[in-house]
Amino acid sequence: MRTRRSHRLLPLLIPAALVLVLLIYYPILRGLALAFQRYDMFDLSDTGFAGFDNVRAVLYDPFVDFGRVLLNTFFWVGASLVAQFTLGFVLALLMRERFPGRGVYAGLVFYTWALSGFAIGLVWAWLFNGQFGLINDLLVRSGLSETHIGFLARPRTAMFAVIVTNVWYGIPFFGIMLLAALQSVPKELYESARIDGAGYAMQLFRVTIPYIAPTIVSTTLLRTIWIMNFPDVIYAMTGGGPANGTNILATQMITTVFKQYDYGKGAAIGLIILSILLLYAVFHLRVSAKTDEVI
Amino acid sequence: MAAKYAALTAFLLFAIVPLYWILVTSLKAPDALYAVPLQYWPRSASFENYRQLFEFADFGRYFRNSLGVTIFAAAGAMIVSLLAGYALSRWHAIKTRGRLLLALYFTQMVPPFILMIPLFTTLTRLGLTDKLWVLTVVYVATVVAFDTIMAKSFFDRVPSSLDDAAAIDGCTRMQLLTRVLLPVMLPGLAAIFSFSFVNVWNELFLAVILISTGDKMTVPPALNSFISKAGISWGVMSAGIIVALLPTMAVFAVGQRYIVSGLTQGSVKG
Repeated sequence: MRTRRSHRLLPLLIPAALVLVLLIYYPILRGLALAFQRYDMFDLSDTGFAGFDNVRAVLYDPFVDFGRVLLNTFFWVGASLVAQFTLGFVLALLMRERFPGRGVYAGLVFYTWALSGFAIGLVWAWLFNGQFGLINDLLVRSGLSETHIGFLARPRTAMFAVIVTNVWYGIPFFGIMLLAALQSVPKELYESARIDGAGYAMQLFRVTIPYIAPTIVSTTLLRTIWIMNFPDVIYAMTGGGPANGTNILATQMITTVFKQYDYGKGAAIGLIILSILLLYAVFHLRVSAKTDEVI
Repeated sequence: MAAKYAALTAFLLFAIVPLYWILVTSLKAPDALYAVPLQYWPRSASFENYRQLFEFADFGRYFRNSLGVTIFAAAGAMIVSLLAGYALSRWHAIKTRGRLLLALYFTQMVPPFILMIPLFTTLTRLGLTDKLWVLTVVYVATVVAFDTIMAKSFFDRVPSSLDDAAAIDGCTRMQLLTRVLLPVMLPGLAAIFSFSFVNVWNELFLAVILISTGDKMTVPPALNSFISKAGISWGVMSAGIIVALLPTMAVFAVGQRYIVSGLTQGSVKG
């Protein structure tokens, strides 16, 4: 009876299954296969099996230091994630208690969630502009800097600039998710903690954080995956430059596909990204399961 | 208390100053744009940049293209994901249900670029590139997995006893869905639609790959095309950015409550 009821639901899944299989799963499989195939759009005379040639071509690229790109990727993901999470959490804590106009305030601090990453990259490229940027203007006027800084012209400052932009973009995600989680913490827990003489910090680490731990685990995991696959901001601001200073795996993939037209090599980069993410997801879930037991 | 309000104000300024600055830039007359020291408050508002945007850059056309693609894709994805989400929510075989959900979550982890290449080569072979309706269908596919996860969790909150009651009253499954469940699901519908709208409207790379004719461009590739080798004309670019951001900001303003509940249901998009 029960299974029969499920079978009657099957037709409802058909439209979703159809678009997903044809336009997502099949292309994914083809894309992964492409990583082991010669597929250079400038030379399609031979599109045979290439083994690990594409992966090797990525690892030993004479023009792009793979180690550098990998380090950039980890730095970009790590720094963005830590700053987004910390600021988002602080904002959520600040917004936890009601205050007049909180609804409007939420709209004004969370709206960046809805914006296009590419457009945001352009906005901040203009803010960081070396000659006419607002940031340079403020720095010089306030006396913090004597001359204008070419933020996007130097590798280190460029990396700083794209991360600031990404943080600006990402605070609302954590703010929204953590605020919702905070509002689900039962008030009684704090009352008993206060009776036990726990101060604010103690309440935060002994009550709040353990209670919302599942949300922290899932949001940081999802966000890591998302930032890793998110080249829009960098693409708009620096295109991965200068001198590969902001080049991450995702932007390197764009360059390989859109500028070098080497689809096989591009797919190999995709394969590398996916492998790193799968490893990370397993590791992340293992570690959080362990800490769960400790708490 | 004072420290708290100072911190709240700092977050507020951080969030709105960049947007304010783009707005001010877009309203500056060409000669004021590159005038040093910078004018924080433009002495007179000029709509020259917007005039150029719509008259010379034909931005209105791209805007209409984007609006059509986005509304149809969001509506299509909503219908498809409601059906699938309902089925998954009421599915009894727990093992199969778990596997199906895992398959949906998996799509969120794959770098979008892996599937873009085969999508492009296959659709080119079939002669299906450079068509806005194809782009729309592809967008449905890109958001439908997450929409379905969201729809399932909204249906999970509607007790299945409601289904049974309707069945006793002689409702068909379709009647049940349209007459009984949809009214309860309205917040869920708003969340799913807003989520898809925002993601589709903002998508750049698929639109660049799948559309080649200039007058079929959507908004993000149009902004991309403003970047020339000679640099960026920031007046027109700012105006373009403002116009490009308006629709998703409007959707967020109206649907904020629902988006927040949708995101917290099983979030993926950052």
